[in-house]
Amino acid sequence: MLKRIQKNLRLFFLYSRFTLKTTLQARAGIVLFLAGKLFRFLFLLMFIFLLFGKTKVIQGYSLNQALIFYLTFNVIDSLTQILFREVYRFRPLVMSGSFDMVLLKPMHPFTKILFGGIDYIDILFVIPYFCLVIVFFLKTIPFPYSFFTIFSSVSIYLLFILNSLVLACAFHITVLALGIITTEVDHTIMIYRDLIGLGRFPMEIYKEPIRSFFTFAIPVGVMMSFPTKALFGLLTGPFIWYAWGISLSGLVFSLILWNYALHKYQSWGG
Amino acid sequence: MIKVTDLTKIYKTHIKQKNPFKDVFLRKYKDIVALDKISFEIGENESVGFIGPNGAGKTTTLKIISGILYPTSGFVSVEGFTPFEKKPQFLKQIAFVMGQRNQLIWDLPATDTFELQKEIYEISQQDYKKNVGELTEILNCADLITKPVKTLSLGERMKMELIAGLLHRPKIVFFDEPTIGLDIFSQETIRTFIKQFQEEFKATVILTSHYLEDVKRLSKRLIIINKGHIIYDGTLKKIIEQYSVEKRVTITLEKPANETELRAIDIPISYTFPKVVYKIKRSVLPEKIKAITQNLPFSDLSVEDETIEDIIKTFFKKNK
Amino acid sequence: MNTFLRIGITTLKEYMAYRLNFVLWRLRMFIGMLVTFFLWFSVFEKQAHFGIYSKNILISYILYSSLISTLTLSSRVAEIAGQLNDGSIINLLLKPISIFSYYFSRDMADKLINAGFAIVEISIVVFFFKAPLVPPQNILLFLPFLFCGILISFYINMILSFIGFWTTEVWAPRFLFYTLVFFLSGSYFPLDILPKNIYTILMLTPFPSIFFIPTKILIGQIHTIPLWQISISVFWVFILSRLSVGMWKQGNKNFSFWGK
Repeated sequence: MLKRIQKNLRLFFLYSRFTLKTTLQARAGIVLFLAGKLFRFLFLLMFIFLLFGKTKVIQGYSLNQALIFYLTFNVIDSLTQILFREVYRFRPLVMSGSFDMVLLKPMHPFTKILFGGIDYIDILFVIPYFCLVIVFFLKTIPFPYSFFTIFSSVSIYLLFILNSLVLACAFHITVLALGIITTEVDHTIMIYRDLIGLGRFPMEIYKEPIRSFFTFAIPVGVMMSFPTKALFGLLTGPFIWYAWGISLSGLVFSLILWNYALHKYQSWGG
Repeated sequence: MIKVTDLTKIYKTHIKQKNPFKDVFLRKYKDIVALDKISFEIGENESVGFIGPNGAGKTTTLKIISGILYPTSGFVSVEGFTPFEKKPQFLKQIAFVMGQRNQLIWDLPATDTFELQKEIYEISQQDYKKNVGELTEILNCADLITKPVKTLSLGERMKMELIAGLLHRPKIVFFDEPTIGLDIFSQETIRTFIKQFQEEFKATVILTSHYLEDVKRLSKRLIIINKGHIIYDGTLKKIIEQYSVEKRVTITLEKPANETELRAIDIPISYTFPKVVYKIKRSVLPEKIKAITQNLPFSDLSVEDETIEDIIKTFFKKNK
Repeated sequence: MNTFLRIGITTLKEYMAYRLNFVLWRLRMFIGMLVTFFLWFSVFEKQAHFGIYSKNILISYILYSSLISTLTLSSRVAEIAGQLNDGSIINLLLKPISIFSYYFSRDMADKLINAGFAIVEISIVVFFFKAPLVPPQNILLFLPFLFCGILISFYINMILSFIGFWTTEVWAPRFLFYTLVFFLSGSYFPLDILPKNIYTILMLTPFPSIFFIPTKILIGQIHTIPLWQISISVFWVFILSRLSVGMWKQGNKNFSFWGK
């Protein structure tokens, strides 16, 4: 078992190395993508500043707090992009029939189709995002700073970020499974991205029933809002259990779905 | 050792309905029987060719034996393993090479893909160097392996695919249309390579192809599939003997002969001076040859089997 | 004229063949619109004015600009880059019709069907969440500006696709462009809440013409837009059309039309 994990880890690093080589070949593209992502981030940041320029509080959250919601969204979104970028290339892989070649290898297919295409551009962004979170968090708590408060808040924040990543992993595996089972849905991964986009702002801005729907039915709220709320100490016990329950059961469900999909696989281009 | 008993594979396709709501939410499915209770066994070091019309079930059979597809019913065992379980020890012993399908990393040199294969199949550094060396030597392409794959021609890419696919010295190799879309020189190169590979490394080779020349050169045993059933399982030699009824006789004339003289032997298929081609039944071949040598002013005479394409056509006609 | 009608109808039929895909596409657009809508709705919870905007006007701006951006931004022109990449553009070149006319017809069909759905989506929002919608005004002035917006967006899209003549990396510039358009055209917020100098510079670019200006006219705020703005919009239509035609001609000369 340990040997298998070691092997898949080695393969992960090898795939990552080759992805870097391929990424570096498209230099002009990298610059433009970087610029695009930077613009998008800055524009929305400016938008939030503008909003709070004339409105001191939105749904009970101050400017700094709203910024942390936005920055946390970016941290989680970047981390998931870094890890799971390869899922975007899965549909073409299946349509061309090259997925067969992945299935035939003595390694877990996820090593290639889930983790096999690290996004290096987002690695550049995630560190500044996280640093900004810390900066703005420090602005929301009273001075003098208590080491204990900061440590415990940030720890629980990171724990919830991990939870969000587990949830994102479950989403992505489900997308992979759907990519095999259905032939008509090309947009699944893009729909996922649009849905989590709702998490850029605190969930309180959405009216019911939308708010409950996106917290309980499709757990966007859990993924994007909960870490920030945990940071502010706004999450109570039941919600914490709920968050982890949802992510772990989601992961189990997605793996079962994946297994089912392999049985139903009919192969293409034959 | 491959053992297949009563293998059945049914595909589900959905029938498009006129009503768009029904089409999405209340789908109707149609069952397509791709394989209907087929059975066969393949032993060590055999070379088998699967042929049949498009949609007959050849590729489906190969994909089930290699573990890609899940059989609807029946029993499949390869080297004691159940293919669909895709156990690593099983996968390390097989290879699947598909024509026109690639697993090479497009933007990088082939050596990078080879390195990946080395890691995936857990090949030792020593074996890796040896295998790469041997394979590049047989295929005469040592200078190509460091060039980005996207810059290579189709034939060159196929060579890289072969090396990548066979680097781990598999016991069983599946070739699915390996020469499709290649020019005749590349086809010849691939055929020679497969023959050499099988002889040197003693692998079981299972091949599907629409080019019967592939099968003729590379397989001793022939399995013909049509509409999900095996309609022939035996040696290539036997089918030629059984179904080859006529032989092609080509004569090169020294000087023009008139039509009546030619027709006295038989009605020629083609006559463009100096070549005359006859199709003569085997049963009457000796007397016809005698007649030709006695009556026609020829400088050269050759007798050939029917092309394998014609033989298979006759086979299908007789086994409707 | 008939040819263009036919092209339009064929495009619509393609949508019918990919029904589920299209419905999901509209769902995605709907979600995007909802986010902005709810955000502004929340802002007005505690106050009745935001800068120069009242609740009614701003919410109307958001909803109308969503509809108008569908009309101006929906496009099939991105296909061209893919066709240049795999060589299938040859089929188009051999047809007795200009690529500009062909894609314009295709785009109009695309815009109309998307707009139809957008109207339904906006009605749902208005109905369920009691959104205050200002009735449309100044239709006569609105239409030519809308048309300018459509043309500007069309030509920019063509230019982005023609980049495919010179490089295979077409996705990155397109991504950058869409990001810029999204913010600089005023889809998240009306542009005039920006500081004065930024706003003035922005108004010189082609972006506000795409849907900020037409929407402002539709919600009855033409007094905020100076008359010479018309000339800027027309100026950009002219420049962009010349540029795209020029790129097309130049690209054709250099292109080698290889395929896979």
